[in-house]
Amino acid sequence: MATSAHHYVVTAHKPTAVTACVTGYFTSSKDLNLILAKNTRLELYMVTPEGLRPLKEVGIYGKIAVLKLFRHPGDQKDRLFIVTARYNAMILDVQGQGDNLEIVTVAHGNVGDKIGKPSETGIIGVIDPDARVIGLKLYEGLFKIIPLEKNNHELKAYNIRLEEPLIQDIDFLYGCANPTIILIHEDVGGRHVRAKEISLKDKDFTKTPWKQENVESHSSMVIPVPQPLGGAIVIGQESILYHNGTNFLAVAPAAMKQSTIMCYARVDSAGNRYLLGDLIGHLFMLFLEREERPEGPVVKDIKFEVLGVISTPECLTYLDNGVVFVGSRLGDSQLIRLNAGPDEQGSYVNIMETFTNLAPIIDMVVVDMDKQGQGQLITCSGAYKEGSLRIIRNGIGIQEHATIDLTGIKGLWSLKVGGESLHDNMLVVSCIGDTRFLYLCGDEVEETDLGGFLQDAQTLWASNVNNGQMVQVTSAGIRLVDASSKTLLSEWKTPSGKGISVVAGNTNQIVCAAGSELYYVEIGKATLSLLGDKMMENEVACLDITPLGQGKAHLVAVGLWTDVSALILSVPTLEIVTKEAMRGEIIPRSILLASFDDNCFLMCALGDGSLFYFSLNPITGALSDTKRVTLGTQPTVLKCFKSQSTASVFACSDRPTVIYWSNHKLVFSNVNLREVSHMCPLNAMAFPDSLALATESGLTIGTIDEIQKLHIRTVPLGETPRRIAYQESSQTFGVLSMRIDVMESSGLTPMKPSASTLAASVSCSSSVGTMIRPSTSGPSSASVPSTPLECGQDIEVHNLLIVDQHTFEVLHAHQFMQNEYAISIVSCKLGEDPNHYYVVGTAVVLPDESEPKQGRIVIFQYVDGKLQQIAEKEARGACYCLAGFHGKILAGINSTIRLFEWTSEKELRVECSYFNTILSLFIKFKGDFILVGDLMRSITLLQYKSMEGTFEEIARDYNPNWMTAIDIIDDDTFLGADNAFNLFVCTKDGGAATDEERCQMQDAGRIHLGDMVNCIRHGSLVRQHLGDTCAPTTGSLLFGTISGSVGLVTQIPTIFYDFLLELQDKLSKVIKPVGKIDHSYWRSFHNDRKQDPCEGFIDGDLIESFLDMSREDMKEVVSGLMVDLQGTGMKQQATVDDIIKVVEDFTRIH
Amino acid sequence: MTFYDSQACQAVADFLSGLPSRDPHNFQKWCSDGPKQNITRKPASYVPTKDIPSQQVIVTEKTNILLRYLHQQYEKKAVKHGTKRDGASGSADEEVQRKRPRYDV
Repeated sequence: MATSAHHYVVTAHKPTAVTACVTGYFTSSKDLNLILAKNTRLELYMVTPEGLRPLKEVGIYGKIAVLKLFRHPGDQKDRLFIVTARYNAMILDVQGQGDNLEIVTVAHGNVGDKIGKPSETGIIGVIDPDARVIGLKLYEGLFKIIPLEKNNHELKAYNIRLEEPLIQDIDFLYGCANPTIILIHEDVGGRHVRAKEISLKDKDFTKTPWKQENVESHSSMVIPVPQPLGGAIVIGQESILYHNGTNFLAVAPAAMKQSTIMCYARVDSAGNRYLLGDLIGHLFMLFLEREERPEGPVVKDIKFEVLGVISTPECLTYLDNGVVFVGSRLGDSQLIRLNAGPDEQGSYVNIMETFTNLAPIIDMVVVDMDKQGQGQLITCSGAYKEGSLRIIRNGIGIQEHATIDLTGIKGLWSLKVGGESLHDNMLVVSCIGDTRFLYLCGDEVEETDLGGFLQDAQTLWASNVNNGQMVQVTSAGIRLVDASSKTLLSEWKTPSGKGISVVAGNTNQIVCAAGSELYYVEIGKATLSLLGDKMMENEVACLDITPLGQGKAHLVAVGLWTDVSALILSVPTLEIVTKEAMRGEIIPRSILLASFDDNCFLMCALGDGSLFYFSLNPITGALSDTKRVTLGTQPTVLKCFKSQSTASVFACSDRPTVIYWSNHKLVFSNVNLREVSHMCPLNAMAFPDSLALATESGLTIGTIDEIQKLHIRTVPLGETPRRIAYQESSQTFGVLSMRIDVMESSGLTPMKPSASTLAASVSCSSSVGTMIRPSTSGPSSASVPSTPLECGQDIEVHNLLIVDQHTFEVLHAHQFMQNEYAISIVSCKLGEDPNHYYVVGTAVVLPDESEPKQGRIVIFQYVDGKLQQIAEKEARGACYCLAGFHGKILAGINSTIRLFEWTSEKELRVECSYFNTILSLFIKFKGDFILVGDLMRSITLLQYKSMEGTFEEIARDYNPNWMTAIDIIDDDTFLGADNAFNLFVCTKDGGAATDEERCQMQDAGRIHLGDMVNCIRHGSLVRQHLGDTCAPTTGSLLFGTISGSVGLVTQIPTIFYDFLLELQDKLSKVIKPVGKIDHSYWRSFHNDRKQDPCEGFIDGDLIESFLDMSREDMKEVVSGLMVDLQGTGMKQQATVDDIIKVVEDFTRIH
Repeated sequence: MTFYDSQACQAVADFLSGLPSRDPHNFQKWCSDGPKQNITRKPASYVPTKDIPSQQVIVTEKTNILLRYLHQQYEKKAVKHGTKRDGASGSADEEVQRKRPRYDV
């Protein structure tokens, strides 16, 4: 029987690659906006004195291919023109301001044609400077015109034949009576520039006002120049040409030769100044120097200079006052300021802000490094100089503002000293045997002493209390001190004379214990009065007396040694109200009474890092609903604090956690710090609403993020990471990377220092006689090429980097041979051999071969800080993928799948092969089943027959999908991603009646993602099963995309699928998509051959947008929606809160 | 400093002096104590639920380019022809009148 395959797919991390940016007055005639396109999303910002103010993020149902602003003559503000990759065009405008801002779709429509060969140089969209027409180059040989008539209901677009072949770039010229384009095209003779005038009446090109044949052979960009100069700048590989039909001028600046210009930004409206960026991150200025002549100004000279280094730009836009936005696809985007003078390095660029970008995610691994059941994602991100590893973790972030070098902290409290102060100004830091007082003056911190407080004793508790007093508790007793005069007012010691071991208090009450003796003390004006005492059965381990309502507390929580129990006592009599034993033998270390929105809890943390929590009736003191979670592995200290005025609990441990109340339940969220032993809330003048935290490295003052989110750490490599594998035994990552070396007279030289040249140790492949001669000495230079390389020629040099799991330091770099590309890696054990190996698959890439004919499988071992090559096996092709398969190695080599076994001589020997693929790009396995992803023939399932030692083809998907990533969801369900940006699921039906049916995979689901998936991995970014959930999901696969987004696919039961489908349907009716693109059209599976409706997948992004809606809109969505949340079989009308709860639970799976 | 360098510096200085300013206050309150990371908050998600009908629809003309071209050529020719045949009397107004609606269908 075929399994029903229902899946939920959602974006866990939105795309970060900036593909286009524009600046203009969009939201109002006074708002200078920066608008960014990030794959399918638009981000609107406003330029303000403080920087960029975020306005809105707008989801577009399509991949944004064109983003342009234009202004109708006479209008006060700009309109936005967008075309998606599926040819949906739209003109957008804005109504309203601030939170009431509405995006209005002024015009929309599909501009695609039924026939036509998609443009080889991509979609180009340009707008006439006088906003008469929009020009689109969508197909080869055609130029589509959309006349911009304001008053027509229909904007009638039409095609014009474009005879010029291989168009490189097109734009509109300024100051022409009729709309006139300028284009660069290529033919056998070279590249040529041509201006062509459009007649709107004849719907054709009427004349060619001017042209220039044979411009530089790599000219690729045209920049139209505004009046009065007019004409255009043509950017080539090594030269710049200015031409306006009558005059022309060309320069070949030396600075240009190093790389290729990627993009430009016009700085001034007069068109004299331009900024250009190249592939290696140089920012250039281009200045057209004018000469005034009677007939008008002419260009006298073209000045071109380097201004500095930026992230590899994809787009540039000048904002204001010398500030420029650098949009990057390969690295972090930046906000930069141009300085009038150079700095010490000669750079005129000052980087103001960087925006983290994961794109392109080329490969990734999910690793639970701390063994806490929560994965971290390590991605191979960026390319060339922007190449990096990114470590992505889910949790709450602490923004560190100050760090003080102090270790051995045993307790932390903040005080307001000196009377009327509203802000905390003193930190009491308790250490073994003494106490330190840190005075906070502005953002300066100085150690001082505090009158009335003991300095040579360990403080157990300190606080401001009623009547402008302060309390310090040490083992010797309680000291009551006047906060303004800093004099001791009263002192209390235990009647028995025993030292105080545990204490808790609030502004009016203190409860303390000396061994098994428990005392209740109330604080009065200059008095401390003992109102109750009790002898407990066992020694007291922890105490709390946090009031659950207003005023004094009437309950005390006590945790006891020996019998491991939590008790609730009443005050002042200290009578036992409730006693709750906790399973196990680990003593409680911290106990806390906490109330969240009138929901009271007793929390008790044990010495092993686990936490028990009970619902508490604040009146009777009764406990119910015992629950247990594991927070860390070390004794945990619980502290209350307020975050954005919501009550929260901070659990200090080796895995610090924040506990808060959200939608009727407790939520546990990690904090992005490694270890916190103590904390206290701190509201100081210079550090408002902060926390003081005792960490391994010292005392940190920081603020806490509002919400849980993904935290990203960057490890820059300076070269392109291609593949990553994790090896637990050596605590390392194996990373395949590529850098560019340049041939110089002395030999190959790396262009710049990067991870592989800066590694602690290096080695290289050199001992293969049958292959092309490799480099023989040194890591990079002095290699002797087999075919002479021209001076200045770039070549790719591939390395295996061994990266430390904790420090992310590159421990070793192994360089492969010249022309040998390392393309796959896996860490595995082989045969009976107990060692873990890194296995690397390579290909020898020669320029004159269409497909690599040679490659290697190389086996390395990293042990005792050394990388050794253990074995190698020649392969007759490129080894695209590898998998460690039950002690053997599965490899996809060109059009074959091969299984290698590991002999006792430590050699690889082919055991069996499978030949029926075009190119075997991907392999995943589960048990004996092997899933193969093919270049262009979708996915195939094989079974390895261990008895016969053969592969058997079990089933195949016969659709011609070009694969980019695959994975096995479960025994019968398989996930694939294709190069048309779709996800699909196939199932095998082992029980089908006929062989024919059995060997054909069933198409069980499909959705258009609008993004290219490069890798899919099993794993999750959140800790699983922390309490009940309404999201009954099974399994979790994460995928990384070319635009830097991370997505999640999970299985859901049929009944839930039906419910979510209904919710999705309701949502798609209430949400009025920007650009009026239908949701079902957007998510339909689409490639150049067919379009099929989305099925089997729930669009999690749409579902989760429910939470961003207003209550009224939520009501509209929910009306008529029947649910059966209790599972009783009876469907009821859902309430808004029911749906919020369900959707929130779904948001918690990522 | 070599002659070239000083020339380059002068060019950069020319370029960077008097950069355009639409509002001199923009970015003036930015604290410039070194590069910062991700301090600009992400914009809030916009969920459009207001149904605002669009004023215009973009449609593609169905006519084939070749047919359109032939029609245009034909009309041009007809115009030329007509002018020749009608001689001096051919004015623009009459051109239009020469096309008469058909009543025989």
